[in-house]
Amino acid sequence: MQSDNKKVMLIDDNEIDLKINAKLISITKLFEEIIICQSAEEALDYLSRNMNDDDKLPNFILLDIQMPEMDGFEFLEQYKKFSTALTDKCPVAMLSSTLDFGDTQRAEANPYVIKLLKKPLSPKELAELI
Amino acid sequence: MKTPSVRVLYIDDEENNLEAFKASFRRQYEIYTAISAADGLKILQSVNVQVVIADQKMPNTTGVEFFKSITETFPDPIRILLTGYTDIEALADAINHGHIYRYITKPWNDLELHNSIKNAYDAYKAKIDLRNKVAELEKTNDELNRFIYSISHELRAPLVSVIGIVSLVKMEGLYNSSGEYWSLIETCSNKLDYYIQKTLQYYKNNKTVTDESPVDFKKLISELIDVYSYTDKDTRFTVNVDQKVDFKGDLFRIEVILGNLISNAIKYQKAAELNKKVNIDVEVSKELAQISISDNGMGILNEHLEKIFTQFFKSKVHHGSGLGLFIVKEALNKIEGRISVSSDLNHGTTFKITIPNAK
Repeated sequence: MQSDNKKVMLIDDNEIDLKINAKLISITKLFEEIIICQSAEEALDYLSRNMNDDDKLPNFILLDIQMPEMDGFEFLEQYKKFSTALTDKCPVAMLSSTLDFGDTQRAEANPYVIKLLKKPLSPKELAELI
Repeated sequence: MKTPSVRVLYIDDEENNLEAFKASFRRQYEIYTAISAADGLKILQSVNVQVVIADQKMPNTTGVEFFKSITETFPDPIRILLTGYTDIEALADAINHGHIYRYITKPWNDLELHNSIKNAYDAYKAKIDLRNKVAELEKTNDELNRFIYSISHELRAPLVSVIGIVSLVKMEGLYNSSGEYWSLIETCSNKLDYYIQKTLQYYKNNKTVTDESPVDFKKLISELIDVYSYTDKDTRFTVNVDQKVDFKGDLFRIEVILGNLISNAIKYQKAAELNKKVNIDVEVSKELAQISISDNGMGILNEHLEKIFTQFFKSKVHHGSGLGLFIVKEALNKIEGRISVSSDLNHGTTFKITIPNAK
């Protein structure tokens, strides 16, 4: 495993999915540390708080689409306002159970999203991405 | 039976006519009268009138001019024009510009006018009923769209969590810890997920308007094989795509069609077969794409061949949903494609499809 895949940030409003995905990542050891955020706001808050602290910043973000108040696409609108120093080092993959054609196309069109992963998260697919 | 209360407005500059009209029809209808177009308009603004009768020859504003002036503000009431025998020009004008329902000559015949009012009211009612029906249908349509969206999100999300838990159980080596219970949960969850996906495909196929986007068959087919051979890695695919010209078509439906056929080709293999094969050939011309998908699987009984495209037809083996090929056929109908099938029991099945190139 590459040494720069240290921290992953999971953003999801669904506690059960957070639990499942965190467990799955810890079993597969794809990342050393997991930052769990229960909302897009919480994630943005974390990123701005630790903007200058490389040790605390994630190297990868797994982002849910449907979340109350701020959804995944709205998060991305805010995410792109961070410095490229941060965003370049931290690619985003969306993770959703959506079958909606519109969601898929919007995710593909977003420059910050490297892939739309379908739930349930497959360790193999995740490994291929990082 | 008592006739429903029909509100009729009669506009005429001759007081005598208004009185005579009232006297003749007051028992059948709710009558409003006006001595000029301007007065008539005031009544229209305050009363919900269903039938308007106007005399053609009035000072200031003629009957046709009046009707013309209210086409936008009061489009619903049905119009009847009263005029003298010789007024051909007024008649032509009325038909062309005034949205006139009937033309009645003066002096009127009570029975004829009565029938005209009755028919006009029926026309009014039909118009309003149709509008209500359209509004109702639009509402239903809207609800169906929201229903489809909520199936694809709210209903599926927890199910996908369950499938995720089962894969965790596998990773932690607990899959066989409770007899066959975990594998039963997995089978049921996958089946439910499959039904949800097929149901969505069916509704989307019915509702979405056809679109035209470029299709790269080589790329599309290899993606679909990746998706569907995920659970079954034994089947060997041989894909030949001859696409020298651009192809434009309905990407969503083509994906649905090929996806279902590829998934069937994998699903209906013989369990004992060591050399499971699927051949896919695509030939694209300026006019159409010809696609053939053949497998060496279990094949289809001759007497079943006719029925496989009907909704809810399922074979006894491999309990499908009875929706896959039905959806294929429906999707092909929408994009004017064709499908044919030939099969040898125990030797395999070949589906041939043609899809017109929209380019």
